[in-house]
Amino acid sequence: MVSDTTLLPGQPVFLPRGPTPNLGGGLYLRDGQVRASLVGVAQYDGPTLTISRIRSHPPATNSVVLGTVTRLSPLQAMVSISVVDGVPLPAGEEFNGVIRTQDVRATEKDKVKIGDCFRGGDVVKGIVISLGDARSYYITTARNDLGVIFATSEAGASMEPVSWQEMRCPKTGRIEKRKCAKPENM
Amino acid sequence: MAQSAGDRRRINGPEESFSPVFDDDEEDIKLKTQRSRAAGDIRPIFLQPGLISQANGSAYIETDKTKIACAVYGPRQTKTTTYSEKGRLNVEVKFTPFSCMRRRAPIRDAEDRSLAVSIHQAIVSSIRLELFPKSTIDVFITIIENDGIEGCIASASVAASTALADAGIEMLGLVSACSAAIVGDDIHLDPSEAEARASSGTVILACMPALDNVTSVWQSGHMTADMALKCMERCHERCIDIHSIVAQSLLEHRTAA
Repeated sequence: MVSDTTLLPGQPVFLPRGPTPNLGGGLYLRDGQVRASLVGVAQYDGPTLTISRIRSHPPATNSVVLGTVTRLSPLQAMVSISVVDGVPLPAGEEFNGVIRTQDVRATEKDKVKIGDCFRGGDVVKGIVISLGDARSYYITTARNDLGVIFATSEAGASMEPVSWQEMRCPKTGRIEKRKCAKPENM
Repeated sequence: MAQSAGDRRRINGPEESFSPVFDDDEEDIKLKTQRSRAAGDIRPIFLQPGLISQANGSAYIETDKTKIACAVYGPRQTKTTTYSEKGRLNVEVKFTPFSCMRRRAPIRDAEDRSLAVSIHQAIVSSIRLELFPKSTIDVFITIIENDGIEGCIASASVAASTALADAGIEMLGLVSACSAAIVGDDIHLDPSEAEARASSGTVILACMPALDNVTSVWQSGHMTADMALKCMERCHERCIDIHSIVAQSLLEHRTAA
């Protein structure tokens, strides 16, 4: 086990003899010496040695993100990312993301109508597939557990998911079309 | 007739006013530049991270009459349209109007920008910018009281590095910096404003003692190459002491938090 001392950036990490383990976040290898790059304690996370960071960080490929839909266009939905990997970003420091029509769902990708999948103000859960271009990250919702988590109906009530394509308003009973995420306890 | 500037309804004082300037006696100048400490001693440092709760990371440094607060925001999305694989570092320096002997207008001018460039050069090579594509890290430095520009640059670099560590931004090592001035034939470390003005040249060195490499050197004034190298060596030795102060304050802050 690695010792419990709090390491500072640049401080060499004392490792038992043997091959260097896989390095996760917060550590780097330079001139054959493993050093810390964050303030923290080095811990083993499975086979990887890492210094955990509880601070918010920008999205990387394969990060799970939560965002709010801000704009819709026939080809894509623009999302303002506010939570990355379970850590909320500070207010005002949101990142921009985009869900293209081919990334909304896994089947019948060419027949997607954006208005039937998302509406403005919906809270969406997605996964970052790439860094995208200068202005936005590319996000996908093409999995059962990804998509709209929370949406408000035209009457103003928060809707419940009925199936992966539909949500129901509890006030009026009307069905509205969204690409819903499968709830976790099902 | 000239337009009456300012408010017509009130009696305006003069637009610009300066306090009277007295001829300094010879003895006064000598008294001011006489140090109360040895040539190789730096002024005692007080460093406290985490004072600005609104920022991602912050640090406040105080050395005798120089007081500097530093706040770090980021990494946040870069607003420009150019795609950058590496992150960017943006340093902004601001002097408060009451920081210097003569009141400064609260607009940013060339001196602020030159300080920002020096501090940027001192810390940029210590941050792992390749881990933050498309993001910018903003460092805001406020100089509350200023006793010597060289001391300001050195202290601000130390404060910025501490604030970055407090913000949880990945770095290769902590940066510490020290300044030196050549007065006559002696090398005086950490000069105050009066000393720096009486000196013939100054050197500011910023380095990462953990990795034993230098991040930036600024030399100004008149000195031989030999003297400049000696100044750099003295500064380098002092930087190791400053680094232990930074380490201690970060560890104390972490155990207290």
